[in-house]
Amino acid sequence: MIHLGSNTKSRIVSKGISAGKSQNSYRGLVKVNGRARGVRNFSQCDSLLLGDQCGAHTFPYIEVDNHTAQVEHEATTSKIGEDQIFYCNQRGIDTESAIALIVNGYAREVLNKLPMEFAVEAQKLLALTLEGSVG
Amino acid sequence: MLTINNLHASVAGNQILKGINLQVNAGEVHAIMGPNGSGKSTLASVLAGRDEYEVEAGEVSFLNQNLLNLSPEDRAREGLFLAFQYPVEIPGVSTTNFLKTAVNQVRSYRSQPVLDAVSFLQVMKEKMKLVDIDQSLLKRSLNEAFSGGEKKRNEIFQMAMLEPKLAILDETDSGLDIDALRIVAKGVNALKTPSNATLVITHYQRLLDYIIPDFVHVLYKGKLVKSGPKELAYELEEKGYDWIKEDQKNLTA
Repeated sequence: MIHLGSNTKSRIVSKGISAGKSQNSYRGLVKVNGRARGVRNFSQCDSLLLGDQCGAHTFPYIEVDNHTAQVEHEATTSKIGEDQIFYCNQRGIDTESAIALIVNGYAREVLNKLPMEFAVEAQKLLALTLEGSVG
Repeated sequence: MLTINNLHASVAGNQILKGINLQVNAGEVHAIMGPNGSGKSTLASVLAGRDEYEVEAGEVSFLNQNLLNLSPEDRAREGLFLAFQYPVEIPGVSTTNFLKTAVNQVRSYRSQPVLDAVSFLQVMKEKMKLVDIDQSLLKRSLNEAFSGGEKKRNEIFQMAMLEPKLAILDETDSGLDIDALRIVAKGVNALKTPSNATLVITHYQRLLDYIIPDFVHVLYKGKLVKSGPKELAYELEEKGYDWIKEDQKNLTA
């Protein structure tokens, strides 16, 4: 994200999901030009881990050449809890569907912004990729 | 409906339940009371099939099936419902969406046709009245940033949607003010039919003013040490649990 003009605003939301033995990294550059005054940026990086052999890494790059800029970065890492799965199980939802439900909930903020066709596809893709990923 | 025979269970190597015997028939309301740490919540968790709990001995039969052989989701689909003491938050998943998944998985297990969105919403509207729950609550992420009362009301609402044969209410009264307690109890009473049963786990007699039990059992140190009619709850409220403890000491002495 490169801010050239004054009073420009941007928001970055990154949602990473790591399953199995995968490692997921976020690298993002937020650059503010020296002449751009009053720039605002907010970056949010969330990572979800499935299982205990995967990882998530966040490398935010922030280059600011104007002191009036306000640049924020926030990162979270979470895991699907046994408690959450059990709660779903207790309502009659099997473990695989429970994970799909929780993952979709997690990604909802991003999926919601996509055009309908993509959102449906992305949701199916998620379910497909996660199939059998948690034993 | 539910028969528990000499049930022993432990968690992380600690034996908590030491020989529970209990018979619950259709149409009955049973209350289980007892001091902290007596094993009330453990009993609920064991029945629901939580992983951390190890059953060491005993049998549990539910609707003529061996309950302990079923997975947690199959127990739920057979009609066992646990209202959680601490309902879990699931961010980004609305109650509506969550329940639709649950109801339809249960229905397909029972070889009933799954509900489409329209008929599901219709059923939901009906059941919402039971617990005075607001539509806006059902759109929010499940249990996320819910107040104590909202969480418990939501549990009872889920119970209404899933129409269980046996509902276990694990300290549903904890964290509720009087009004919320009344609403929750009203919901539970409205769901009572001659063909289902309720197991109420509680510390206090207060909830039992609203949900009138047919039987009251006292759980102490992993055993049901006393059973009686609803008057037993009043006696406990008056005297505390100490006299039960004394009784037990005299028995073993």
